[in-house]
Amino acid sequence: MTQSQDTGPFDPFATWNSMRDSYLDVWSKTMIDMVNSDEYARATGMMLDNWLTASAPFRKVVESTMNQVLGQLNMPTRSDVVSLAERMTNIEMRLDDMDAKLDTLQRELRSAPAAGASRPSTRRSAAKEE
Amino acid sequence: MIAPSTSPQELGSRLLRIEENLQTAKRVLTTPYPVAQTPREVVWALNKAKLYRYTPVVPEEKRFPVPLLLVFALMNRPSILDLRPGNSYVEYMIHKGFDVYLLDWGIPGPEDKNLKFDDYVLEYMPRAIRKLKTVAGSDEFSLLGWCIGAILTTLYAALRPDDGLRNLILLTAPLDFSDKTCGAFIKWVDERYFNVDRILEVTGNMPGEMLDYGAKALKPVENYISNYLRLWDNLDDPKIVESWHAMNTWVNDLTPMAGGAFRQLIVELYQQNKLVRGEMRLRGERADLGNIRASVLNVVANEDHIVPPGETVGVMPLIGSKDKELIHIPGGHIGMMAGSGARKVTWPKIDAWLEPRSR
Repeated sequence: MTQSQDTGPFDPFATWNSMRDSYLDVWSKTMIDMVNSDEYARATGMMLDNWLTASAPFRKVVESTMNQVLGQLNMPTRSDVVSLAERMTNIEMRLDDMDAKLDTLQRELRSAPAAGASRPSTRRSAAKEE
Repeated sequence: MIAPSTSPQELGSRLLRIEENLQTAKRVLTTPYPVAQTPREVVWALNKAKLYRYTPVVPEEKRFPVPLLLVFALMNRPSILDLRPGNSYVEYMIHKGFDVYLLDWGIPGPEDKNLKFDDYVLEYMPRAIRKLKTVAGSDEFSLLGWCIGAILTTLYAALRPDDGLRNLILLTAPLDFSDKTCGAFIKWVDERYFNVDRILEVTGNMPGEMLDYGAKALKPVENYISNYLRLWDNLDDPKIVESWHAMNTWVNDLTPMAGGAFRQLIVELYQQNKLVRGEMRLRGERADLGNIRASVLNVVANEDHIVPPGETVGVMPLIGSKDKELIHIPGGHIGMMAGSGARKVTWPKIDAWLEPRSR
């Protein structure tokens, strides 16, 4: 078997890439079919459930130990920090309410320049009369 | 048998190139790309959420009077909308003359585990939109929601139809879950196999790593193998390397999703399909798609494996707007808006629809 003149020299890298891509295409389709199956959904659900069940006692021990240690050290626990953060957000909301009111006031002041300008002149004329 | 005709010199230079490529690969895989470079300023903030205004580049008199607010998903970062100079949707729209704003939900902490769609739609969004209207000096605005951002914007449009919303653009919106065989996600989160409460009891928020696994496992070979081989094959091409680097940075910038919102997504939408059935309630208010009055553009990605077209197209007859349009775009869930073809196909189509409705 010989190479024809118009085909380039044999390139082992190109051949390897071509084989690789063909193999990956087949593998990809197989995997997509697999993850789309009910069996995969059931299996991943079971694995997740088992992991949650198995790790639950360990998590509880770590959590209660950590709370005890932090309490002994007079340090805030995670729930203390969370509660503080929630209060901060509530304060931010009140600030945002105030910001909304200020924006409304500013807009009203800007939209009524004529009425605002007439009032001082009335006061000035009243002062002159006095 | 064909004998290898690669000369020793050529083989040597190839090996040298492999060495250089390894250095490039190391750089790309270990350093983040500077995504989200378009100049912007924070105009509003609440808890982790921030409202950004992008610095306009078109003179005010030539700009469209109706501002555009972008709302991305609660998972992953919104920097995908401003991925890199020359390939940024934000940059494209500000050059078209839009006053562009972005609502960044931020990264929820343990204190945010109870945040629900109710809070995002009826607390955060109205406040951010109030500020947007003040800053933009406009009573009307357009909303663009992508993925879960499209759920939030749809709910907002249904619950606050008189709040000045003129245009609603939905991108790959997961809204209709009536077909339980539509895609893999809906099977994975079937109530027979997936107990969302057990997970959230342990994690509080839905961890970014689990969300990432869920997205990548839909196409495992592409995401875990072919993606990296594509980089390896193109290490000689700086343009492809830069594009890959930016996308990889975004993909690996994982964020958790607030537990309350994740539970709603799984139980009320994926499992119970409450929105389409007209049973979704936020803070006691029923979200009726028939109440939507804004002009609606619903953009579907034909090859979307995360939100298959079947989860989007069915809502069109339920939307109350008189002016509504559904368009199909070639591409995947992310590629449609951030891929190499987005600038030529998706963005011009959205712009052509939005421009006449923003005057």
